[in-house]
Amino acid sequence: MSSALTDRWRPPLFFSRIGARIALAHALAVVLAFALAGYVAEVSLNRIAQTAMRDRIRGEAASLLDEFGQKGSAHLPYTVAKRQRLWRGFDYRIDDAGGHFLAGKLPSLKAGWSIATLGKGGPGGGQGARRFLAFTQRLPDGAVLSVGQDMAVEAGQGAAIAWTLAACGALGVIFCVGLSYLASRGDWRRIAAIADVADAVSDGDLKVRAAARPSARDDIDQLGLAFNAMLDRIGALIGQVRQVSTDIAHDMRTPLTRHRQRLERLRAHVRNQPDLLAEVRGLEGDVEEILRTFDALLQLSEIEAGGEGINANFEDLAEIACRVAEAYRPDIEESGRRLTVLAAPAPIWADEALLAQAVANLLENALRHTPRGAAIEVAVSLDAGGAALTVRDDGPGIPAAQREAALRPFVRLEPSRSAPGSGLGLSIVAAVAQRHGARLELTDAEPGLRVRLCFPLVSMAPGAGGLPQRGHVLAL
Amino acid sequence: MRAGVATAVQEPSPRVLLIEDEPQSAAHMAAGLERAGWSVETAADGPTGLARASGEEFDVLVVDRMLRGLDGLSLVGALRRDGVQTPVLFLTAMGSVADRVAGLKGGGDDYLVKPFYLDELEARLQALARRSVTPLRERTVLRARDLTVDRLNQVVQRGERTIDLLPLEYKLLEFLLLNAGQPVTRAMLLERVWGFRFDPRTNIVETHISRLRAKLDEAGGEPLIATVRGAGYVICAD
Repeated sequence: MSSALTDRWRPPLFFSRIGARIALAHALAVVLAFALAGYVAEVSLNRIAQTAMRDRIRGEAASLLDEFGQKGSAHLPYTVAKRQRLWRGFDYRIDDAGGHFLAGKLPSLKAGWSIATLGKGGPGGGQGARRFLAFTQRLPDGAVLSVGQDMAVEAGQGAAIAWTLAACGALGVIFCVGLSYLASRGDWRRIAAIADVADAVSDGDLKVRAAARPSARDDIDQLGLAFNAMLDRIGALIGQVRQVSTDIAHDMRTPLTRHRQRLERLRAHVRNQPDLLAEVRGLEGDVEEILRTFDALLQLSEIEAGGEGINANFEDLAEIACRVAEAYRPDIEESGRRLTVLAAPAPIWADEALLAQAVANLLENALRHTPRGAAIEVAVSLDAGGAALTVRDDGPGIPAAQREAALRPFVRLEPSRSAPGSGLGLSIVAAVAQRHGARLELTDAEPGLRVRLCFPLVSMAPGAGGLPQRGHVLAL
Repeated sequence: MRAGVATAVQEPSPRVLLIEDEPQSAAHMAAGLERAGWSVETAADGPTGLARASGEEFDVLVVDRMLRGLDGLSLVGALRRDGVQTPVLFLTAMGSVADRVAGLKGGGDDYLVKPFYLDELEARLQALARRSVTPLRERTVLRARDLTVDRLNQVVQRGERTIDLLPLEYKLLEFLLLNAGQPVTRAMLLERVWGFRFDPRTNIVETHISRLRAKLDEAGGEPLIATVRGAGYVICAD
């Protein structure tokens, strides 16, 4: 397991969710589309409105010109004043041929189309100023007539259109994000479920599988199926590796056994030759060591494979721990170390032989990896969470980064590489823990190593007789 | 190898039937046991073994769990149903806890995992054969030289001196005395005294024996518990 895999799964931030990103992208697209549409609409509406405005202004001017033709120039200022008063939506100005102001509100303008400004800021614009689009023409008598219309009217229309567009855009965004969320919420959950499965796998549980519809109805189903296929493959490969090592151990045992039998016969023959006898005993010791390693390997695969091999009974963890600890006491004490046993009765559902071996492996481990004078403590406790066995020493301990590795078969950490031992002791403890549904924890005893086996709480009436089948959780 | 070769001359040598279908393994066992003073018969398959075991008197049977024709467990089951109570030692392959457990539940008295040392097999067969002959287990007082163990009150005395033993030391001494005169192997002690079905990598047995010796033996006297090289320990018979 790499350290990246062991990092705990954290609920991702909202924006790291792919679904959220997609929804946001959709929303942005909607906003952009509406903004563009708004802009285009505004430009063309403006143009239409301006044309319409010009037509209206020209119409009004034509009507005044007609009035001029019918009633004469003298009457025109009155008509203008009257129209101004009655308010037809236009503003006017009329100057006589000499350039004298006759009537109206607009400033004096040049002939043709122009934009006039009127109001507080005076000509030139400013706050509260009104802007007019005006058409100015010279009448046949030399007078100058301007007809204008307040551009605010048209601007108001534009603003109303912009508002409508903005409101539609906002609704679109809400609709888009909402729909996106609703549509992808299920997908997020399914992706999160696959992530949870990956997490469980990195915790050592190879039996979990992602939920995926077998007909692969969508790409998440495909992802789940591919993921499961990968897990199957990993499981098969691990099984093969295990099988290979078990097969090697099995196959090598036969020639080694023959070898050992020959040595045994040889030993009987050289009984009276001390030098040869010592040599034969040395060889026997070596063969024994190899066989022991193979035995441990076979036992490990046997425990890991599970099957019917576990002979579980209702046992007292304290009794087992005490029995093993007392067996080791003379050895521990004679090696200059101290042993303390603190045990309170703790019923568990266990295979006594396997558990005794696990305790023995932990004690041998403590004995092997601590200096003289070290204190070793074996404790059994029972609380609401279940029974727990703790073996603690005040030796050099195992660095946090290496604790997980220490549980793997044949892994021997640097300082003890040269010491005797197969490197299978802690692996067997881990396998025994797993078979018992117990949690194995390696922690810093400050100083030293604390190994804790936490057993699930047993009800006083165990079921059919099997062990609780649960993957062990490795908490480091 | 066996402490009592001399006695074997007077007593009829104990009879063992090896029911084992691997010729090489059977020959190796037969040769070793005969050297140790046993009278060895062999059967190369299950049905033959069953027929011989129920038709003749043996002190002990060695039965391979995996046999052609009739597997070891069924064979012993059939024997027990017929009322044959001859002690049985099963030979099992490594890597089958279930087999071992089933073997002991199915009428076996002991088991040995292949490969094993002949000394180990011999010591276990001695213990089994002895169990079938002497009702030693029911004795309330065990003796060796001037050592007496009162099993009812759990009092240990050497001559007039009362010796205080820890529970485990008492158990160890008791087991050695129950097999007095016969070597008892390290593995047997681990199984019977401590209930360990595994092989510790430390000198548990040696250390406990030396502590027990220190309590039992008198200064300058001959040690009560003797070490049999390569085999185990023996406490002298009366």
